[in-house]
Amino acid sequence: MLNELLLTFAQWLDTHQWSTDIHESIYMYSWIEATHVLTLMIFLGMLCVIDLRMLGVIFPNVPASKIAQRLDKPMMIGFVVMLITGFLLFYAIPVRSTQSIWFRIKVVLLIFAGINAFMFRAKMQASRGTWDLDPVPPKRIRIGAAASLLLWSGVVITGRTIAYDWFDCHKQLPYFMYWAAGCVDEMAAIEH
Amino acid sequence: MDLYPFFDWLDTSILADIAKAYGGVFAVVQMFHLLGMSMLGGMVLVGDLRLLNILLKDVPSEQVIENTQKWFNVALAIVMTSGIFMSSAVAMKLYYNEMFWAKMTSLGLGITFVYVIRRPLLKFKHDTLNPWTLKLIAATSISIWFTVAAAGRWIGFS
Repeated sequence: MLNELLLTFAQWLDTHQWSTDIHESIYMYSWIEATHVLTLMIFLGMLCVIDLRMLGVIFPNVPASKIAQRLDKPMMIGFVVMLITGFLLFYAIPVRSTQSIWFRIKVVLLIFAGINAFMFRAKMQASRGTWDLDPVPPKRIRIGAAASLLLWSGVVITGRTIAYDWFDCHKQLPYFMYWAAGCVDEMAAIEH
Repeated sequence: MDLYPFFDWLDTSILADIAKAYGGVFAVVQMFHLLGMSMLGGMVLVGDLRLLNILLKDVPSEQVIENTQKWFNVALAIVMTSGIFMSSAVAMKLYYNEMFWAKMTSLGLGITFVYVIRRPLLKFKHDTLNPWTLKLIAATSISIWFTVAAAGRWIGFS
């Protein structure tokens, strides 16, 4: 049911002239994709410095909260640019993206990374006075930082693998993979 | 100096065999390349934006540079190692690709700039240096590394 709904939505986006224009333009798609990838250096770069501080391996003499606060703004600027360009990339190729197993895993990882960031921030604020100046923060903070790095690495990895057609709907795949990728027509063909 | 023999050798090396035969291995290495690039970008930006007095203004710039330099080395090692492996898969194609040479030139420039100019200069106490020298170092550094990354991305489009 959800797969059908998502596919219908993607097909509706695909009927938009702008979607076709971006997809078929000689340079526009490349510029958007290049901006999306290069902004990684801002967003993930800043996040990397914050998380490495929370792991206690960089800036041991600078309060952890100071690093997090000061780098938050450029990191969020990077995130917003990535979000906009990411949406445009999806908008340009909506049907294939919706039926990409990698895109789906990426979205799930993004949700988990967002939840982790929210919990991480809450934990940081709750215990700031107790460990802020410690060169190596407490274990729960280090676990949060490691989870953040792993989840965002996963987002980057799955983002990159969207380009590969290993598990595209036109390939011969097990039923489960068709279901996970949302290959509605292929699932129907097997069922009948 | 013509590097054709090196690319010819790389094209038939064991690295190329692995990269060409196993798409999954190539993809994993490419991911490390991207992650390394992100880390490198973060270290360059935090250090240079501090020199430009935009970021972490209340942390001594010497401290920021010292901390980011260590991780810059790690990131550069990841990017270069993964980059050589990735190049082996399409060595001959890259040899004739102008954008690849633009990237290699800017990468060579970047490495020379970091280890021959930026680091030796920034070993001095920063308040003994002309503030404009610091700003010039930062602006040059950001420009070079942005060019490296942008040229790298454009190899895929060219």
